[in-house]
Amino acid sequence: MDELLFNLTEWLRSTPLTELALWISDTSLSGWIVTHFWAIPIIQVVHILAISASFAAVLMLNARIYGVAGHATLGETSRRYTKILWGSLVVLVISGFFMIMGEPVRELVNPYFWIKMVLVALGIVVTALFSRSVSRQAATSDTVGGGAKATAAFLIILWCVIMWCGRWIAYAPV
Amino acid sequence: MNPEPTNIWQRLEYSNLGTTVAESTWMFPTIETIHVFALVTVIGTIALVDLRLVGVKGHALRVSQLAKDTLPWTWGAFVLAAITGTLLFVSKATSYTINPWFLGKMVLLAMAGLNMVYFHLTTWRAVDHWELDPSFPPAAKLAGWLSLVFWLGVVFCGRAIGFTLGIYY
Repeated sequence: MDELLFNLTEWLRSTPLTELALWISDTSLSGWIVTHFWAIPIIQVVHILAISASFAAVLMLNARIYGVAGHATLGETSRRYTKILWGSLVVLVISGFFMIMGEPVRELVNPYFWIKMVLVALGIVVTALFSRSVSRQAATSDTVGGGAKATAAFLIILWCVIMWCGRWIAYAPV
Repeated sequence: MNPEPTNIWQRLEYSNLGTTVAESTWMFPTIETIHVFALVTVIGTIALVDLRLVGVKGHALRVSQLAKDTLPWTWGAFVLAAITGTLLFVSKATSYTINPWFLGKMVLLAMAGLNMVYFHLTTWRAVDHWELDPSFPPAAKLAGWLSLVFWLGVVFCGRAIGFTLGIYY
């Protein structure tokens, strides 16, 4: 596994991403973040709070779908948590952007970062399809079919793997 | 070999458990990742109830029902965060105990706990009587705000530890 990640880093280094990262590090925004010690920790705190909001939203919607948090109707639950989920995803993208600006080489020339980006893209597509399907089913019933149930569980695992990759950006073999 | 421990924190750090986590290449990051899964669940589910207490609506659920749905997740995740946090702590106990951000985090955790216990023993007991009112009692709003502030502080200190561990000695 380490070997694979190491080779991926080597390959990333040979692409124009290296040049892009170096160009970003010359921008004034990047320079500002680098010279302010607390900028990165604060951006990371915002990122963590947004992860908390989105993960709790997915968790509580799943709990409702699996029948262990049954006080509100499915339609109501799905409307509420979908709104929180998309709102926090916007905050995640913005705070993530500033993290890339602050540490471009560490992020862009990093195998975990790119695995994470692919999984995030997958997560957004699956979430969009999933929430459409749930709200359609919620219009006529208070339960969902097996497909939506399986997708709900898949999304929890996917977000955990995404968090895993995010945390391990700091531990990429170089 | 480690030198002879002279206090309890060194004793912990030099223990089998401490050195096993510290010397492994994958254990610390893995435990840290599980700590992240746990803490985002704790923060997220607590914030849902806190925001409701301070007046953010957007859900037909009564606050007591919302709390019933979220609390099992909060407690389960808190136990997981405490276990993983202890393992991380033991592996570098002497570095953590002299880090002011770590100490601040522990104080804020205690304050968040005291706020919760006090609120549950007082205002929350009568939740059936006020949760259908258009506005919650000031004590409930205050408990919600305090909880949000304490937990935000916990997250900030937690992140600050990662940037300052090893600069104090």
